[in-house]
Amino acid sequence: MLPDATAVSHILTAAGVSNAVVATETLGVVCRLEAASVLRALEALRDGELDFRVLLDFLGADTGEEIEVTYHLRSLTRDEELFIKATVAYDGELRSVWNIYASALMPERETAELLGLSLVGHPNPKRLLTTDGVEPLLRKSVPIRTVEEVRNR
Amino acid sequence: MSDPRDDVISVGALAAEGTHSAGDPPAGIRRVPSGVDGLTTEHLIINMGPQHPSTHGVLRLLIEVDGEEVLAAETSLGYLHRGIEKLAESRKYHQLGTLMDRGDYVSGMHGEQAAALATEKLLEVTVPDKARYIRTLVAELTRLASHLVWYGTFGLDTGAMGQFLYAVRDREVLLDILEEISGQRMMFNYIRPGGVVADLPVGIEKKILDFLTDFDVHLEEHHALLGGNEIFQMRVKGIGTISREMALAFALSGANLRATGVGFDVRRDRPYDAYPDLDFDVPVGSTGDAWDRYMVRMEEMRQSVRMVRQCIEGMPEGDFTAKVPKVIRPAEGEVYASVESSRGETGVHLVSDGSPEPYRYHYRGPSLFACQVLEEILPGHLLADVVMMIGSLDIMLGEADR
Repeated sequence: MLPDATAVSHILTAAGVSNAVVATETLGVVCRLEAASVLRALEALRDGELDFRVLLDFLGADTGEEIEVTYHLRSLTRDEELFIKATVAYDGELRSVWNIYASALMPERETAELLGLSLVGHPNPKRLLTTDGVEPLLRKSVPIRTVEEVRNR
Repeated sequence: MSDPRDDVISVGALAAEGTHSAGDPPAGIRRVPSGVDGLTTEHLIINMGPQHPSTHGVLRLLIEVDGEEVLAAETSLGYLHRGIEKLAESRKYHQLGTLMDRGDYVSGMHGEQAAALATEKLLEVTVPDKARYIRTLVAELTRLASHLVWYGTFGLDTGAMGQFLYAVRDREVLLDILEEISGQRMMFNYIRPGGVVADLPVGIEKKILDFLTDFDVHLEEHHALLGGNEIFQMRVKGIGTISREMALAFALSGANLRATGVGFDVRRDRPYDAYPDLDFDVPVGSTGDAWDRYMVRMEEMRQSVRMVRQCIEGMPEGDFTAKVPKVIRPAEGEVYASVESSRGETGVHLVSDGSPEPYRYHYRGPSLFACQVLEEILPGHLLADVVMMIGSLDIMLGEADR
């Protein structure tokens, strides 16, 4: 279930990813690194001995200061799961990882649109769920209308 | 008397005549009637859906065709977007199940179960044995009801009609049972953090067992009616083949993944609720085509029947819910909990900041990933097979669109 944290950091160091922090949290084994090194790290983890062949899910969250994106990896041969986390500035770019994990295609489009990031390196960077002009709904700065506001609209 | 068939000019003879110059057309005719150029056709973009009976909801497909052959396809989602993840941020923890019911609305119990499991992980509460068994029981009944919808509509996609009526007949009994248990037919709101909302009603065990006695026979009838049909077999075998590598690259789960030969089942490999106590098999396929997905789902129904019987036999005494505060305030933290829903792995990613409302609520729906693989497997097939591949993947758009 939980991968060996030292093995993960060993693979990342060998791939040239510096200052990656691997820790065991309530979520599982979480690896925090810089957004610029996500692609290199994911490629190393997929092809490395830990065999993280599946990107099970991709999501983003508004922490109040920046956007935190999470890559949920799974290795079926070793039956282990790993979470990769990186942060992107509000006006930052989200680099697509679809060349490494094809399953990121639509979740990335969804995250970019709902959290207001610009998606780069994606073969079809269109909006997925909402139409043009809809504000990034999952940002904390976008409020939900109250019942009174809807009635008095 | 000569045979009239001798007068029929062969196609080859016509083509040979056509090689001579036809000359200019007579007065009053603007162009030489040379027929249609059958070799170079124009590519056509067909817009299928969102209102199409075979898209199983509101899927919109843009299909580029050359004649009848699909060259490229794009799935366009979002026609059912209700902002479930944003709404969850202003709901209390015990209300999350209500939202999940409206995600995958054909197998609502599994979504509720995932939301409840994630909340319990944050709360670190122990669920009583009876609640674990009741949850497993209703989850397997929901799986049967959901697979029956898939079975009926998959047959409709291939042009068969009868099996849909028989599937709905059985599903009707199941929904009546689930209504008696939870008070609702589809939007159950039954599984809550800590357990379930009410004990099983008196006498429901007999109703379920009576249904299963009939269903044992009915299930084999269903299989004989559709799977035993040679036309159906010819239409689904070899269609929509997904290789093991493709399934892993697109993070498929559930029957779609197991049909390719990868035996991952959340119920067995990440056990939750009463599944560790139950005896069941995980069926896998080999080639990963639509026929394998059909066979895996039919076998899953047989396993579900087994599990429902075991749940009723082994139902422990005790409370149906743990003591959980009316307003749940979990500690700060982030958890992931997943269940095997009818369509695959439904996982809930929950971030708590210690307030009574979730800070971030995200769920991983298996249908979104099945929608992605559609773009990959449709090209190369005939247009008539498109609806069957959608049907074989068992896509639920309420879940993909959130």
